[in-house]
Amino acid sequence: MAAAICVLGVALTPRAAAMITDEDFNALKSMVTNDNQRVSQLEKQHDQDQQTHQQDQQTIQQLQQRLGETQTLATNAEQKADAAARIQPANPVMNALHNFTMVGDAEVQFGQAKGQNGTFALADFAPIFLFRANNNVLFEAGFDVTLQNNTGTNGLPNGGSSTAVDLSFAQLDYLLNDYVTIVAGDMVLPLGTYSERAAGWLNKIPDDPLPVDFLPGSGVGAQLRGAVPVGGMGQMLTYSAYGVNGPSSVDGTANAGSLDLGGNVGDSPNLNGNPSGGGRIGWFYPWKAHYDVELGLSGQSGTWAGNALWSAFVVDAAVHISPYIEVKGEYIKTWEQTDNAGTIQPGGWWVQAGYKLAGLNLDAPVVNDLELVERYDSANDAMGSTTDRFTTGFVYYLTNTLLLEGDYEWFKNRGLNANGLPSSQFVIQLSYGF
Amino acid sequence: MKIKKIILFIASTLLGVCLMGLGLTSAYADPEKNTDPKAEPKTDQKAEPKAAPKKLTGAELYAINCSRCHPERYATEFTPGQWQTIMLHMRVRANLPAAQAKEILKFLKEDAGS
Repeated sequence: MAAAICVLGVALTPRAAAMITDEDFNALKSMVTNDNQRVSQLEKQHDQDQQTHQQDQQTIQQLQQRLGETQTLATNAEQKADAAARIQPANPVMNALHNFTMVGDAEVQFGQAKGQNGTFALADFAPIFLFRANNNVLFEAGFDVTLQNNTGTNGLPNGGSSTAVDLSFAQLDYLLNDYVTIVAGDMVLPLGTYSERAAGWLNKIPDDPLPVDFLPGSGVGAQLRGAVPVGGMGQMLTYSAYGVNGPSSVDGTANAGSLDLGGNVGDSPNLNGNPSGGGRIGWFYPWKAHYDVELGLSGQSGTWAGNALWSAFVVDAAVHISPYIEVKGEYIKTWEQTDNAGTIQPGGWWVQAGYKLAGLNLDAPVVNDLELVERYDSANDAMGSTTDRFTTGFVYYLTNTLLLEGDYEWFKNRGLNANGLPSSQFVIQLSYGF
Repeated sequence: MKIKKIILFIASTLLGVCLMGLGLTSAYADPEKNTDPKAEPKTDQKAEPKAAPKKLTGAELYAINCSRCHPERYATEFTPGQWQTIMLHMRVRANLPAAQAKEILKFLKEDAGS
């Protein structure tokens, strides 16, 4: 019994020694809780620090990448500067003609009329000099330089050759605003569209339509011209209004046949009392690229010898249907008061159609570069001669600016010129636009 | 007298075309603009706004205008400075509207030669 009490006493004694008060327990519990909270805060802080560190790493990488690019650009610029320094002289010469440009065309023509010998009929160099003073001022001048046989007073060759230099136009253009351009000088006249758009390499047939000869190609004077867009699809209305010296007389008389369309360019001898006025109104309507219609009305009126009146009226039209089909033409009528024949009315018309064989989609290189061209023109000089002509030909586009043109023409001459002109001829022309 | 009548007819025709052109221009210029101060404002709030009219690009204007008269020239055939001069020439010769000429010039300069 005593032993059992001893064992029990031994067993119970440590328990009694380990017992703590509630206060101590609560204090210990509070301490543990605080430590847990602090650990949680430290973990959160650590997570935030890690995120900041990652962002810093990304920023550093981006900066390093930009630095690399900058270094590459700097290296390239340095290399280019070195290369430029090797090319340029120490004291570079300023180019005073940096706004000067030359365009134009050149042609060589071979022809043979029926019953006559074939010959190289034309070697023409027609430069256009453009000088742009600034974005609103342009001076432009076109020349026709041709080689021709020397002729005697009887009109027959007398040996040798000479070079003829004709001033086609020389005009100053001042672009007043978006809608008005002032033009002054020797101007290409907007009577119809042929004269303004008929440089050798633009014309798909080597020679001009016959009735164009009834109109002056250029005139000395001043002009206002411009265009007003209609809507946003490329439509426009165009206008030109001008005053020029107008036609004159070759011999001072107002007789039929004395009209001088190109000679009245100065004040002496000016057989014309008053300047002439004229203009053109045009309407251009494209419904998509290469599909369009253009219509124009133009005219000029004034005196040509004394008080004798000369007037002209032109209707022009052009149609494009696809990149391959083009039809255009003009109707020309003039009125010429004369002393010996009353008022005569020279005039005529022409229509021309072209078809590019590329439209057949044959995938044949030579065929794809061919365009077939047909033209019918008629002219009546109102002095007893009428000529009708049918022309069929082709244009072979060696490049976009080097053209080989060939055509055959049949004439029907009536009246005074019936026996003097050939009944047919062929012409081949090599044209280059630059 | 006959000639005077014809001249009068031509002048009347030109004037008529001018007036028609001005009318068309004003009609197309800003169809939303109402110049009549007495006119009532539009009250149709449900109407959806009209889509802006498509503006032709320089390439499209180049295709529309340039090939009318001559084979198309490659942009690389001339330098930007030369194109600037040539476009001034063509703006006058072909009576191109200023805005169209500027767009075409911008297009040509993009691939101009050096």
